[in-house]
Amino acid sequence: MKIVKINEDNCIYCHLCEVACVVEHSQSKDIIKAFKREEKPTARCGVEFNYPLSLSVMCRHCDDAPCMEACQNGAMHRDDRGYVVVNEDKCVGCWMCVMACPYGVIKRDTRRDVWGLSTKCDSCPDRDVPACVEACPNNALMFEEI
Amino acid sequence: MKIVIIGNSVAGINAVEAVREKDKISEIKVISDEQTRAYSHPLLPNFVVGDVSRAEERFYYRERNFYEKHNVKTLLGRRAVKIFPKNKYVELDNEEKVDYDKLLIACGGKPFVPSMKGVELNGVHTLTNIKAADKLKADLPNIEHCVVVGGGLIGSKIAEKLAKKGVKVTLVELMRRVLFPVLDDAGADYVHKELKNLGVKLVLEDSVVELKGDKRVKEVVLSSGKTIKANSVIVAVGVRPNLDFVADSDIEVNKGIIVNDYMQTNIDTIFAAGDVVEAYDIVISQKRPIPILPLAARQGRVAGLNIIDSNVKYKGGFPTNSITIGNISFISMGIVDSDEFEVLKIKKDGEYRKFLIHDDKLIGAILVGNIEKAGMFNWMIQNRFDVSWIKDTFLNSDFGWKYFNKAFRVLRLDRKIK
Ligand SMILES: Cc1cc2nc3c(=O)[nH]c(=O)nc-3n(C[C@H](O)[C@H](O)[C@H](O)COP(=O)(O)OP(=O)(O)OC[C@H]3O[C@@H](n4cnc5c(N)ncnc54)[C@H](O)[C@@H]3O)c2cc1C
Ligand code: SF4
Ligand code: SF4
Repeated sequence: MKIVKINEDNCIYCHLCEVACVVEHSQSKDIIKAFKREEKPTARCGVEFNYPLSLSVMCRHCDDAPCMEACQNGAMHRDDRGYVVVNEDKCVGCWMCVMACPYGVIKRDTRRDVWGLSTKCDSCPDRDVPACVEACPNNALMFEEI
Repeated sequence: MKIVIIGNSVAGINAVEAVREKDKISEIKVISDEQTRAYSHPLLPNFVVGDVSRAEERFYYRERNFYEKHNVKTLLGRRAVKIFPKNKYVELDNEEKVDYDKLLIACGGKPFVPSMKGVELNGVHTLTNIKAADKLKADLPNIEHCVVVGGGLIGSKIAEKLAKKGVKVTLVELMRRVLFPVLDDAGADYVHKELKNLGVKLVLEDSVVELKGDKRVKEVVLSSGKTIKANSVIVAVGVRPNLDFVADSDIEVNKGIIVNDYMQTNIDTIFAAGDVVEAYDIVISQKRPIPILPLAARQGRVAGLNIIDSNVKYKGGFPTNSITIGNISFISMGIVDSDEFEVLKIKKDGEYRKFLIHDDKLIGAILVGNIEKAGMFNWMIQNRFDVSWIKDTFLNSDFGWKYFNKAFRVLRLDRKIK
């Protein structure tokens, strides 16, 4: 199965992966609307910086995914493609998946009324190549078999 | 092969999934004294106050067609009363006999109710399964003042939920803080403040000795001699492995059913997993019950794999908890309060971080507020990772991959080291 391979040597801390991720997960998939008019989604990748190093990190789509094991109601599940994704209608924001993810790549969205929402890379179900990979100008992110 | 599973919840369901990954043929029967399909126990406090109901998918652990999809026969509303290991069958409460080749005991825990006078009065509740939750929910309109006995995870949660709904709540805890084994004083301080802000009255270092009333509870008497006028009590002092029907079998038990690294009991054909067992705690290096959902899931999976002879070891676990009370989220793992080990901690704006280290290994952590990287610490504890060279960065709010050494980081992120 292909996942996003992280090639940190090529990362220049431009954050374009995060921008592309936000747009891809927005209602309109339109960059201006996503950032200025709609409720802005959380980027599923996160760029870290510690000069001269920078790198973008996102879900590794583990085989025995600890996040799924920790989830109290199956909101965190493996989809038909084999990627680990959150069912937004089920997630209750208990953060047990956050507690379990060995890569620290699950973010918390606390903007919903009753339930928090766990937010993570879904390997872009509507695309052949994930948005972050396509947006990266330097091949610091590549979509590869791992 | 005939596989029988007692308990239709986290451990049982994960065992079913593990078996069916490789074995589509064996017969699987799941027995449960509950009528419902598997549901989320952690959502019971929300269920009681009406945040979630039986009508919502969110309440359930797996989808409606799970049993059909995994070719599982269910015997719901039936209690297993006795196991006959020699003849390999389980007897149910209707005297039906269910034969097995391999048996999994995944019957969970039951609430521990301390001896106090008056527990049989109306208005006294527990909250560990849907039956108890239904009873408490039905009683909710009658409840003016509720005393919650025990400030553990379940007690704190239900106290918070009831207070939010406008019920007058007093929480009585024996120790000097709520969530005693899970937090330290500084961490629990946040919870105390959140609970007080919601109107919960805290009574610490005291316990309930007697419930008074005619038919319904009217007054609660504490060991200090104080009394509280209350017309409802929720007993939440803990859960114990549910050993009722294994007690007089040949299955070895201590505090829970004793299992080996394969989640197998002393009887070859009988496995056990989840809240009912005592399995290996890798932080304190001994077997003990740790009644939490992620471990029930993992143990269930390991048991399922070994039932079909996959020879997979349970590597051991340790307590991990994620709790949100009021506006603050907490994650705690391993040993969190001890002077015997190296302690790193820092308290800053809306954030508390604490780490316990022994022999250069991380053995416990508390994160309050800023919790998103918690799982990275979980991994370090589980894998006995040498933290001597990186521990100085643990207290940084922006802790992350950038602080690791490059070779290690690349191997991990490429999934070359699990
Ligand atoms: C209110 C509440 C909140 C919780 N919150 C958290 C949390 O936030 N985080 C966390 O990690 N854990 C939490 N837990 C604990 C978590 O729910 C358990 O660890 C988990 O459910 C254990 O799964 P299990 O499969 O071992 O057993 P259980 O879920 O207890 O299921 C056992 C099943 O076996 C059935 N059974 C028992 N005896 C028999 C019998 N003789 N015959 C037939 N069937 C039988 C029971 O009816 C039940 O269906 C919470 C629990 C409760 C009650
Ligand atoms: S969220 Fe974390 S635990 Fe879950 S599959 Fe992704 S990397 Fe693995
Ligand atoms: S936050 Fe959502 S996805 Fe994560 S464990 Fe809780 S319910 Fe599951």
